[in-house]
Amino acid sequence: MTGSRLLPPLPALCRGDRSLLDGWLSGHQRGSLGTCVLLIVLGCGAYGYTIGLWRGGEMALYVAVKLPAVILLTVVLNGLLNGMLSLVLGSGIGVRRSLQFLLTAFAIMAVTLGALSPVALFQVLNTPPPGGGSAGGSYTVLLLTHTSLIAFAGIVSHRKLLGLLRSKAATPGAGTRTFVAWLAGNLFVGAQVSFILRPYFGIPGRDVEFLRADPLQGNFYEAVYHAAATLCGF
Amino acid sequence: MYPEDKTPPTIPPAGFEPLEGGAGLSNVLNKLLKKPLSLVHHLQNHEDRGKLPVRLLVITILALAVFGLVAGSFSAGSQLWAAPVKMIAGLLLAALLCLPSLYIFTCLGGIEARFLTVAGMLCAVLALVAVLLVGFAPVVWLFSVSSTSLAFMGFLLVVLWLICAGFGLLLIFRGGKALGMTASGHMCVWGLVFLLVTLQMPTTLRPIIGPGNGSFLNLHEKRFFLGYWIEQFSTEIDPEASRTGNAEGE
Repeated sequence: MTGSRLLPPLPALCRGDRSLLDGWLSGHQRGSLGTCVLLIVLGCGAYGYTIGLWRGGEMALYVAVKLPAVILLTVVLNGLLNGMLSLVLGSGIGVRRSLQFLLTAFAIMAVTLGALSPVALFQVLNTPPPGGGSAGGSYTVLLLTHTSLIAFAGIVSHRKLLGLLRSKAATPGAGTRTFVAWLAGNLFVGAQVSFILRPYFGIPGRDVEFLRADPLQGNFYEAVYHAAATLCGF
Repeated sequence: MYPEDKTPPTIPPAGFEPLEGGAGLSNVLNKLLKKPLSLVHHLQNHEDRGKLPVRLLVITILALAVFGLVAGSFSAGSQLWAAPVKMIAGLLLAALLCLPSLYIFTCLGGIEARFLTVAGMLCAVLALVAVLLVGFAPVVWLFSVSSTSLAFMGFLLVVLWLICAGFGLLLIFRGGKALGMTASGHMCVWGLVFLLVTLQMPTTLRPIIGPGNGSFLNLHEKRFFLGYWIEQFSTEIDPEASRTGNAEGE
């Protein structure tokens, strides 16, 4: 896909331009899935690069690959389930269209994150290095900042998704139910995918690595349970 | 229609009208203070819109040069030229960093504007902020010649910056509404991001008002602005720490 074919939809996509999205979501416009995937790879890749850059260029490249991978893997793993849920909940949206809906929403999120990448880069370049005495504090600040920005981009994109679903589903109520079901499923699976693909920020003192030595050992929810149990003194 | 589009069409705010008197430098300066939305109208609708951002940038640079000179007079010496250079470079760099997110956030807010219009709006914000800072320059000069406290001067400049930036952000909001913004939450987040970047910039480019001590920039030591400010205030309160050379100057 050439740049001229890709770039014009960016503002229209963010605005939720009806003519563009009608073409995309009806499945009549060829290449819309590819455009969304490309936007996710570029936007999330650029933002992921800034996340990992604090620990050096190697980690930056790792996270630039892993952040888009988390989203794409989550969408693929949940694709069939999302399509079935939307049909069962009466929205009339099938598997392929559900994939297009979700990829469109994540493309908006990726564009938002990509646009914030220069600011995130500026912050990383001004953060005390991980080897210094204040590495723990810097790590916390980076963690909070990036989490807030990613959460903001996620909220923005999912608000757009909710609007799209309510307008395109058989009834607005069915659209809302489908949105809640997709959200729950994506959060459940996405948390585990991101757990497997960790680290992202790189805890100071630990080696830079693409994946942990035991990526498939344990799961996100076990880790949360153990953390909560430790906190409560069990 | 999508939910955001269901709101009734908004009436353009007062002042969103064609720019009268042309895009000359003096008229642009005049309209910037009196009818800033006419500049936004010009940027969005006029065929020859390309010159206006350049003129706004010229106003920004000239105004910041004046304000920087006054702020630099606190430490005098090399800071007389270093402070204006750093203020101009810092603000332009901050704007450049925030421009992509401003464009995307205006789109998310439902505005159908060209990139040049959004860039021009940002230039108008910078120019307005810079001109307002010049208005505060006599106050800064008064304190720079009478005060010896670096922490107080830093605090004063931050407060003045926040006041002026507040007017600038208000212009962005009003301009956004005039261009058909349907959701303002994104712009609030952008405003916060812009403020944080502009507050970090003086720490990155330090020293600006403090003594240069032979170094133009201090990029090797990376600091968060809040941590750095707290350290500077502590140093000022504790003279012992100041005598041991902990004060680096901002």
